[in-house]
Amino acid sequence: MLRKTPDNQLRTRSHWRRMPLKGLVFLVVVLLCIWIPFFAPYDPQAIDILNRLASPSPSHWLGTDQMGRDVFARLLYGARITVGSALLVVLFAGGIGTLIGALSGYLGGFLDKVVMRLCEGMSVLPALAITMVIAGVLGLGLWAVIVALISVHWTEYARLVRNMVMVEKAKTYIQAAESLGAGRFRIIRHHLLPNIAGPLLTITAFSMSWAILSFAGLSFLGLGVEPGTAEWGRMIAESRSHLRSHPHLVLAPGLAIMALVMAINLFGDAYGDRLRGTHTNPLKSRRS
Amino acid sequence: MAIQLFQRLVQAVILLFVISIVGFALLRLLPGDFAEVLLLAQMDGTLPDPATVTQFAQDNGFNDPMPVQYWHWLTDALGGDLGQSFITGEAVSSDMALRISRSLFLGVTSLATALILAIPIGFFCATHTGGWIDRALTALSVVGMSIPNFWLALLMALFFSLFLDLLPSSGHGTLAHVVLPALVIATSVTGVIARFVRARLLDELSQDYVRTANAKGMGRLRILLSHVVPNILPSTLTLTGLQFAKIFDGMIVVETIFAWPGIGSLLVESLFNRDYPLIQMCFLVIASGYVVINLVVDYLITLIDPRVRGAI
Repeated sequence: MLRKTPDNQLRTRSHWRRMPLKGLVFLVVVLLCIWIPFFAPYDPQAIDILNRLASPSPSHWLGTDQMGRDVFARLLYGARITVGSALLVVLFAGGIGTLIGALSGYLGGFLDKVVMRLCEGMSVLPALAITMVIAGVLGLGLWAVIVALISVHWTEYARLVRNMVMVEKAKTYIQAAESLGAGRFRIIRHHLLPNIAGPLLTITAFSMSWAILSFAGLSFLGLGVEPGTAEWGRMIAESRSHLRSHPHLVLAPGLAIMALVMAINLFGDAYGDRLRGTHTNPLKSRRS
Repeated sequence: MAIQLFQRLVQAVILLFVISIVGFALLRLLPGDFAEVLLLAQMDGTLPDPATVTQFAQDNGFNDPMPVQYWHWLTDALGGDLGQSFITGEAVSSDMALRISRSLFLGVTSLATALILAIPIGFFCATHTGGWIDRALTALSVVGMSIPNFWLALLMALFFSLFLDLLPSSGHGTLAHVVLPALVIATSVTGVIARFVRARLLDELSQDYVRTANAKGMGRLRILLSHVVPNILPSTLTLTGLQFAKIFDGMIVVETIFAWPGIGSLLVESLFNRDYPLIQMCFLVIASGYVVINLVVDYLITLIDPRVRGAI
């Protein structure tokens, strides 16, 4: 036992050192989104018909698309829309879901029954299909898609937060706080939420990657962003007809989506492992 | 078990009821006067005069209280009449059965492909932990979770039908048409199921009953088949049931890309045509279909797992 403790600490510390590396990718992307105009070599909407479908070259790093627009600049600006929308979805769905889940789990009773039936019902249905139907009724615009994603996705948070709150609620520190006379909302805010914040962040990472993939998929189909917008899913859809002659037009945005989602997933994995106190490399097996 | 199943059934019926209310509200909540929207569609876009609208609303009972309207709508819907498509003017339920069967075929093929790939891989990785296949699986499942399926579909179409000219990239009819769509949909769930099977197997293999069986001198294969498999089957089935919803999400995009005429591509089409009766029909079919699938999976689990069967 004595021999093991320093070893564990060492592991945790080395893990902490490596953790930011995985988060860093995401952070860099977010910062890039804000400062894009400083990095982007061209205006993403500047049409240059004479120079259409140019191959990658020093002046156009990733070549130009079917309208002569610089692909690299469009990729950078595309991150802004995709990441921004996904962040909005996660923020609102997470906020609403956490609040309702925590209230439902802590207060219990009739509210809990209704909320949980609703969330279970939603979890059975295909989320993307329901999102599309809601977005269709709201009018297919960018805000319609974001609102539709939020209204489908909050139930996931509510369900998971409710289950975590049920576990925490039974622990003695909550009973202690209750017997000291703390109010319900004080307990939820100061005791329950801080204690589930860790696992919640892991969920948020995976929900972020879901939001990015869904948003890109919907804009690929033509929902959300206007035609011609510099958005990754839209770029893939619009370069589709040049797939055989200029595959890099489809490859580049797809790789961008994949890299971003993978970074977020790995971050979530690593953070989850750290929370559970085990140190596992996702590329190494558990019991080797 | 009977009581539990009955409870599930009651829950499913309540859920179906809620779904029908949402489906009904979907059309009535549209911006603008519902009678006017319907008339506009029937008269090919010419603006009807107010007197006609009032008369039309009166004839079709749009001035009745909402619960009465809902009741009329529900009885019509149960009789298979959900109105006409705005675009074609045909009944929205006309070739629904055919579309459902095509989507179901694609979905079941995808799931079967995923299971056929995932279960042996999961078994192999659990019995050969740390090997290169095991490590490759973990890496692949991370990639599989992160890859946008519409992009993968395009790449597969590019590789298999444009470069190699092996498989058709659009349409339906022959078995060759199913291969690409099913593979694309299967990739998103194969990794998840394989990793789950691997983790569950590892959990079970360290149990006492496996050691006992080993000590008795039972063969490795027999331990797996007659002791371990029955133990991991219920949870694997539950997971598979949950993947069904994910498969449909993949199907919407994949059906559109590969021009597979199922429910998913119909939903996309009707969304862009703003063909609201058709959207409503798609919603009702998808949602109630999933309630039924979920019920069937629950029933199968009670059949397979004696612990659940005996619990109540």
